[in-house]
Amino acid sequence: MTAESTGREPLTGAPEGAGADDGFWDAIPEKPSDEELVRLRNLLFRHEIALVERLRELQDNQRYNARKVSESLPEAIQLRTGKDQLMEHSLAPVVDDIVRTLLRKRRGDFVEALFPLMGPSIRKSMAESFRSMLGSFSKSMEMAFSWKGLRWRLEAIRSGKPFSEIVMLNTLVYRVEQIFFIHSQTGIPLVHLAFDEEQGKDADMVSSMFTAIQDFVRDCFAGGDSEGELESLQLGDHTIVVEKGAQAYLACVVRGTPPASFREQLRTTLDSLLLEYAEPLSGFSGDTEPFAGAVHYLDDCLTSHFADDDKKIPWWGKAMPVFLVAALVGAVGLYQYRQVLEDRERQAVERERQAYESKLEEALNALRAAPGLLVINVAAGQGTPREATVLKDALAEAPEDALRRQGYDPDMFAFKVVPFISYDPSIVVRRVQRTISLPDTVSMSFDKGTLSFSGVASLGWIVGARDQARALPGVERVDVSGLRDPAMDRISELIAQVEATVVEFALGKDTPVPEDAPKLQKAVDSLVELENIVKKMGFTVSLVIYGHADATGTDKRNYEISQARTRTVAAMLYGRGSSMSVAMYGMGASYPKDGQKEGQAEQAPKHAGADARGDQSSRRVELRVHVLRSAAADPGILLSQP
Amino acid sequence: MICKKICMLGAFAVGKSALVEQFVHSIFSDKYLSTVGVKISKKNVSVEGKDVSLILWDMEGRDLYVDANLSYLRGAMGFFVVADGTRRETLETALDLRKAAHDAVGNIPSCLLINKDDLSGMWEVTESMLENIAGQGIRYIRTSAKTGLAVEEAFSTLTRDMLRHAG
Repeated sequence: MTAESTGREPLTGAPEGAGADDGFWDAIPEKPSDEELVRLRNLLFRHEIALVERLRELQDNQRYNARKVSESLPEAIQLRTGKDQLMEHSLAPVVDDIVRTLLRKRRGDFVEALFPLMGPSIRKSMAESFRSMLGSFSKSMEMAFSWKGLRWRLEAIRSGKPFSEIVMLNTLVYRVEQIFFIHSQTGIPLVHLAFDEEQGKDADMVSSMFTAIQDFVRDCFAGGDSEGELESLQLGDHTIVVEKGAQAYLACVVRGTPPASFREQLRTTLDSLLLEYAEPLSGFSGDTEPFAGAVHYLDDCLTSHFADDDKKIPWWGKAMPVFLVAALVGAVGLYQYRQVLEDRERQAVERERQAYESKLEEALNALRAAPGLLVINVAAGQGTPREATVLKDALAEAPEDALRRQGYDPDMFAFKVVPFISYDPSIVVRRVQRTISLPDTVSMSFDKGTLSFSGVASLGWIVGARDQARALPGVERVDVSGLRDPAMDRISELIAQVEATVVEFALGKDTPVPEDAPKLQKAVDSLVELENIVKKMGFTVSLVIYGHADATGTDKRNYEISQARTRTVAAMLYGRGSSMSVAMYGMGASYPKDGQKEGQAEQAPKHAGADARGDQSSRRVELRVHVLRSAAADPGILLSQP
Repeated sequence: MICKKICMLGAFAVGKSALVEQFVHSIFSDKYLSTVGVKISKKNVSVEGKDVSLILWDMEGRDLYVDANLSYLRGAMGFFVVADGTRRETLETALDLRKAAHDAVGNIPSCLLINKDDLSGMWEVTESMLENIAGQGIRYIRTSAKTGLAVEEAFSTLTRDMLRHAG
């Protein structure tokens, strides 16, 4: 059974107006059944059916609303855009995406569309860059060779800043004397600022005339090319810098050379102004009142960047001449002060050098005074240590020590020592002392080449010392007379005793008279003692025995008997074990005791009162003693008692 | 301060400069007229309690204006077109200029000045011609740079129109 098409019977057929595209309703199962079933369905699904009904209505409404919205959307957007920023915020991401997509897909179209816009801007930007680059380049060239440049170089050296920075600082020496913010079409100055109030009086006429002149220039020279604009005018040291905008432009009257950055500043300022005053500019009807606030923008251009002649010279700049004079005076003073200092220093050095030299001389003198040292050469010049050649005796102290001992610095010299033998008395004394060991009992003196000993010493020492001393350099004579050997006294005594002994003999006999026998015995004792003493000293005793006879008898007999008498003495001596050398001379009767017949008194002294006839005193022996150096007996060194 | 750029147009020797010189202040000499083709002057007027500074662009008198000259009209808020009452052709030129100016800068306040009123006996411009002009809705004022007749009035009138126009 089919449900009647009675309007909006739910779930009984496709709703009205449902198109072929609306398959939802077609999908509802249409399964007509009996009344009960329908009723049951209505009972069971009453709420659901109502819900479905409401959904359908909603969908219809949406379609309707979309149509309505499409009609009012542009207006709605327009309204909302005027009200707040929400619309922009909502649409921005969408538009963003769209633009991106379009850029990707239709790049060519965009390039074509943008090129006419970009080309001129890029050209202008590049031209601007080139101009500023050339400007600074030519400025640098100018600075490099001018007096000003030189001054700035000095300034750079003085201040330690890079030269380029100095140039930059100085290039800023300019003054923006007037600045016009001019409405392009009318030439009416919207704002005018002047450094000098007087100049501001006819700003409107100046501004208009200037605008007219620009038109004139453009018309005359640009030949209808609307891109051509007058950008600057040069008049003496004034430059009129023009920065053009669509509806208004800036014109600055600048004294001096503005830096390239000034134009950039103008551009920025103008851009700000054009943005800020876009509305009053587009509807400009001659009322400059709305532009009053632009003064603040322009003030920056007029004040913060103009460098007034007075201001650009800072206080230290004004004080520069004073500084320079002070610096000059200071420099001269400093120079002279340094000269004085240097003089002083030089003098001090000279004094020091002289002091050193005199010290050297003193040291040399001390060295010359030192015994056994002879300074023969000192190197000329000023080097330290000074080279010195010194002759030095082996016994002299080292020159270094000599200096040190006397309080001089030995490092002042570098010594070259040459050995030599000194005859300096003190060195000679030292040499003697070193060669001969003096016993405590001996003292020594040296004077004018004569070495004198005095005191007590053994004979052996005395002889040895005398011989050694004679061989020493510097010793010319040796005097040992001041020396005394205690043993010598005994020796002398014994010798005297022996030599004083006269032993008489009986007539015709070779034996002593009984009264003289002890005398002979005593003499032999003395000789033995003497021999013992001198033997210890390295000497030997040599004995000479003279035998005499009286005049009685023949000469032959007399000679024999006198000789026999000498043998008696020698026999006694040998009988005592002596080994001394004995010389025996039988003198006969030629030397009587009391008179010397043949004048040989020394050898045979005569007894006083002896007669020619048998004087007992003539029958005698006499002894003479010599002490000789032992073994290698040297008659030259015979030591006999003086 | 309200500034208005106004231009003075007119044929050669109609007395534009005379009008300007007599009643306005200028810092520029006439030589600009023959060199740059324009000379700027200023006139301060007080209209309806407002001080208005009129910047007058006095243009070189030519019989045949070229584009170059008309470019000075750019931004003008009003203009005078001047004719010499003693020479009828200058009125025709003035009307041509007026039309050209309006074509160039749009419908801005303007005023036709017919100068040399002091020489009224020698006028070639007749009353009927003037009526004809008035009939076209063109306002004219008879002035005399020599006597100063209606000169101030002319400036005031144009200024008033401009103020209203800018409204």
